Amino acid sequence: MNSNSSGPKETGSATLFEASGLKKDFDDGQVLALRGVDFKIAEGEFVAIVGPSGSGKTTLLQMLGALDRPSSGTLKYRGQSLFDLPDPAAYRAHEIGFVFQSFHLLPTFTAVENVEIPMFEDHKPRAERTTRAVDLLKSVGLEQRVNHFPAKLSGGERQRVAIARSVANFPSVLLADEPTGNLDTESAKHVLDLLTSFHRDRHMTLILVTHDMSIARRAARALQMVDGHIVFDGDPAKLSMHPIV
Amino acid sequence: MTFFDVVTRSLTRRRLRTSLTLLGIAVGIAAVVALIGLSRGLVSSWTSGMKSRGTDIVVANMRGSLTPKPFPASTRDRIARLPGVSATCMILVDLMSIENAELMIVSGREWGCFAWDNLKLVSGRMPNDQNERAVIFGTAAADILKKKVGDTVQIETEELAVVGIVNGGAFVENGSLVLSLPLLQQIMGNQNQVSAIDVRVTPGTDIQRLCAEIDRLVPEAHADPAGEHIAGSEGYRVINAMSWGTSLLAVVVGVLGVTNTMLMSVFERKQEIAILLALGWRQSRIVRMILWESALLGFFGGIIGVLLGIIGVQLLKHAPALRGMLEPDLGANLMLEAVAIAVFVGVLSGLYPAWRSSRVAPSLALHG
Repeated sequence: MNSNSSGPKETGSATLFEASGLKKDFDDGQVLALRGVDFKIAEGEFVAIVGPSGSGKTTLLQMLGALDRPSSGTLKYRGQSLFDLPDPAAYRAHEIGFVFQSFHLLPTFTAVENVEIPMFEDHKPRAERTTRAVDLLKSVGLEQRVNHFPAKLSGGERQRVAIARSVANFPSVLLADEPTGNLDTESAKHVLDLLTSFHRDRHMTLILVTHDMSIARRAARALQMVDGHIVFDGDPAKLSMHPIV
Repeated sequence: MTFFDVVTRSLTRRRLRTSLTLLGIAVGIAAVVALIGLSRGLVSSWTSGMKSRGTDIVVANMRGSLTPKPFPASTRDRIARLPGVSATCMILVDLMSIENAELMIVSGREWGCFAWDNLKLVSGRMPNDQNERAVIFGTAAADILKKKVGDTVQIETEELAVVGIVNGGAFVENGSLVLSLPLLQQIMGNQNQVSAIDVRVTPGTDIQRLCAEIDRLVPEAHADPAGEHIAGSEGYRVINAMSWGTSLLAVVVGVLGVTNTMLMSVFERKQEIAILLALGWRQSRIVRMILWESALLGFFGGIIGVLLGIIGVQLLKHAPALRGMLEPDLGANLMLEAVAIAVFVGVLSGLYPAWRSSRVAPSLALHG
């Protein structure tokens, strides 16, 4: 870790993620996305990952979501290596909820059907899936939009559907990749309020990638990345001392 | 929403492409239904014709053609003496061009034998004797040649009187022109030659054993249970092989069509597949989704193909070359076989695209 960082935050809660010497390169080592990253994230934390484009934020998020493997180093989830999981799909289905910048709702499915999609691996009866999906859409204020297709929803509404989908299996961790990047200010605030309320009320660990300093400051902790290194780890209020770009 | 909804929704997203793919499979399956239906119809039509005449065994020399080759009429005497044979009927049959019809079945039958008994007069009368220069028409043959009682018909160089129209109780019988054996032998220049001997057996006779006995006794011809003489002929086997060969080509085109569609679909949906993986779907579920999509394309393509095949067969049935000669066999078995082939085609076509889908990196979900 860079000397500018303040080290992993000690929250007193159990460690959820623990990365050690995490490296990732592409194109036979020509592109170094992560250059030896170390951190710990405790259960229930709200961590913002900030940094300029190409700094390795998304690559790190991919590692946390078990979507990709590192070139070297370790990343543990609850003490178990994420890259030796017997069933990575089960980890993604039950432990992780993803919120994407471009929402990534499936266009041929209604809002409620989109929310049901992660539940297929949960082997719940159809009626139970639908009921739960409708309840989740109500919890994000979309009870009037349950049967609308994504094309008929505003950007903010689409992201709220995506948030409902991300918590469909009541995961322990929410991974949000620039969740407000494609939204107007009002919608962005609404979406951020929703994410923080899930974090607060359901004790979900929230890891959010953002360019927006005002959003990062809502987190309890910020990890700032530059060129594949974590250059700051600490109180987001002190981020102004460490310019993102 | 069920997993099946997910599968069907993917197919309905690109309606034009799905429709064209369905059409591609349907044409292949229609070819299967039409060609195999006609080919099997040849056997079933002749079998029902034999049954309507009350024939149990046919002694004929089919060789490589669909019409039997003539052999000496004296053969009948050896067969008639065999235990288990209750009656015999000598027949000379050929496919001939009659007036404006390209191919008609002309059947000369031994006067007074059982092969006349099933012919029920619809109009006119039967020939008075075997020497009368008269012919009777099956109802379909009369319709094809537009003949009625009192007309004449030219067979080779002979002009014969149409004295009766009959219902023979079977498609082939109704499509035939029937006259006495000596008259046809004279017209064809095949005196003392017959092309088949129809055999009736006494009740309780082991037909297969009797056929084997006839084969030993009559090396110049071959005995088969009624109907099987067509199915076992080399001519039929060639037709059947050609039908399956042509159908196979059409099916291969269908396979390529579905593979192309599914592959395009997988390439287009790479990120969507990655998102599903990121949301916790297993690769096996993605593979199943693709295979189900292609199987459904096959299934519905098969259903459409069967319908197109039935329409095609109806059109072919009335083609001048086939009219009145055979009734296509479009039984439930053929329909089920055709749909099963279509589903197999679908699944086969989906294997490579499904494998490609399993190679999509879930990390793609975070791109774009």
